[in-house]
Amino acid sequence: MTLAIILVIVAALALIFILGITVSRSLQVSEGASLAGKIQPIDVAAFRNLINPAEDDYLRRRLPASEFRVVRRQRLRAMAAYVQTAGRNAAVLVLMGQSALPAANPQTSEAARQLVDNALLLRRNAAFALVRIYIALAWPNSGLAATPILHGYERLNGSAMLLGRLQNPAVPVRIAATL
Amino acid sequence: MLQAHSFLWHYLWLAPNVLLLALALLIWRKGLHKAFPAFFAFAVFSSLGQFALYIADVAPSITAENFWRVDWASLLIEGPLKFALVAEIFARVFGSYDSLVRLGRLLIRGVGIALVLAAALAAAYAPKDSLFGIVSGAHLLEQTIGFIASGLLLFIFVFSAYFRLRPARPVLGIALGLAISSCTHLAVWAVAANAGLPAERRVILDFVGMASSHIAVLIWFYYLLVPREVATKPVVPLPENNLDVWNRELERLVHQ
Repeated sequence: MTLAIILVIVAALALIFILGITVSRSLQVSEGASLAGKIQPIDVAAFRNLINPAEDDYLRRRLPASEFRVVRRQRLRAMAAYVQTAGRNAAVLVLMGQSALPAANPQTSEAARQLVDNALLLRRNAAFALVRIYIALAWPNSGLAATPILHGYERLNGSAMLLGRLQNPAVPVRIAATL
Repeated sequence: MLQAHSFLWHYLWLAPNVLLLALALLIWRKGLHKAFPAFFAFAVFSSLGQFALYIADVAPSITAENFWRVDWASLLIEGPLKFALVAEIFARVFGSYDSLVRLGRLLIRGVGIALVLAAALAAAYAPKDSLFGIVSGAHLLEQTIGFIASGLLLFIFVFSAYFRLRPARPVLGIALGLAISSCTHLAVWAVAANAGLPAERRVILDFVGMASSHIAVLIWFYYLLVPREVATKPVVPLPENNLDVWNRELERLVHQ
């Protein structure tokens, strides 16, 4: 009997999730042109400051180990916030690209397909990057926390500026706040 | 009203399958069977299997044991077709996006393996009926198919929702109908296989299962045959972007 109850609950939860996703998806369809306004700008100056390895080394030398770990975690949380924003922007671009897919002009349709594909890739990579940041949060003194992520972010910084140039022909879409 | 062989019982057993066969015919005439071959095969064989089962149930010359043999044969055909349909839904949702298809395949294989193991565990812990093994076995097989299909469909819905993908209308309809039917059948067969209900109460389970099949068929009719409203507003203009550069950078970050 216990197994039956567990399986009934599992089935009910699965169905509720699926119906919920279907309803929220149908609500997304009506959003249309307001999507561009949902893209959040990224403050590139603050981001650049956050990913600077020299600052991290400086903090490591100056602060006691316990205090450094606290500060390091705060900085990693801030990094996570940036990557989350990039991921959310990618999600908006997926929706915008999908809205443009049925365009009659084949060039526009192909451009939309490419935009969706790239935005999906960005969202996927942002998810992987977040996993690495959260692992680093658990071990702030590890090499994983200090070097690879920050180096990755340093390179990502330039890309953030490029992404900031995303524009809607009618309404400029700014992802970077300071360009 | 809710009794075996009442009018409602006959209606709920026959009507969804008549409608499903009619839907198969209609989608064949519209040429949609080329786009959804697994759904077409599922619609045809599932409804024919249920007709065979119905005849085996009402024909006095067919013994109870033979009825369950027909049920087993029907399940052994319908089960793989259901999984082929899930694979078709997956391919239709993610297949056109190169960036997701590999990751999606990897994840759905992992989820599939986990679901098979969990379903086997659930079947192993189910109470065994040595007298009517053919009956309890059929219930467990139904439970196992429902469990795996529901899990795979839930994964497809969650994965596509995370990436904000909007599947085409027919694909969404097929997935939604199959999910409603699979989740309800999982609950129904889990109770039938594990709760030890008396026969008069089990009839209620039949009604719930058949009603969910009816709802699923109506959903398929609506999404596959009722034309979508033509959008009057222009499509959203595409922003200029450099996502490929962004992606190169993030991939470097991830692969370090």
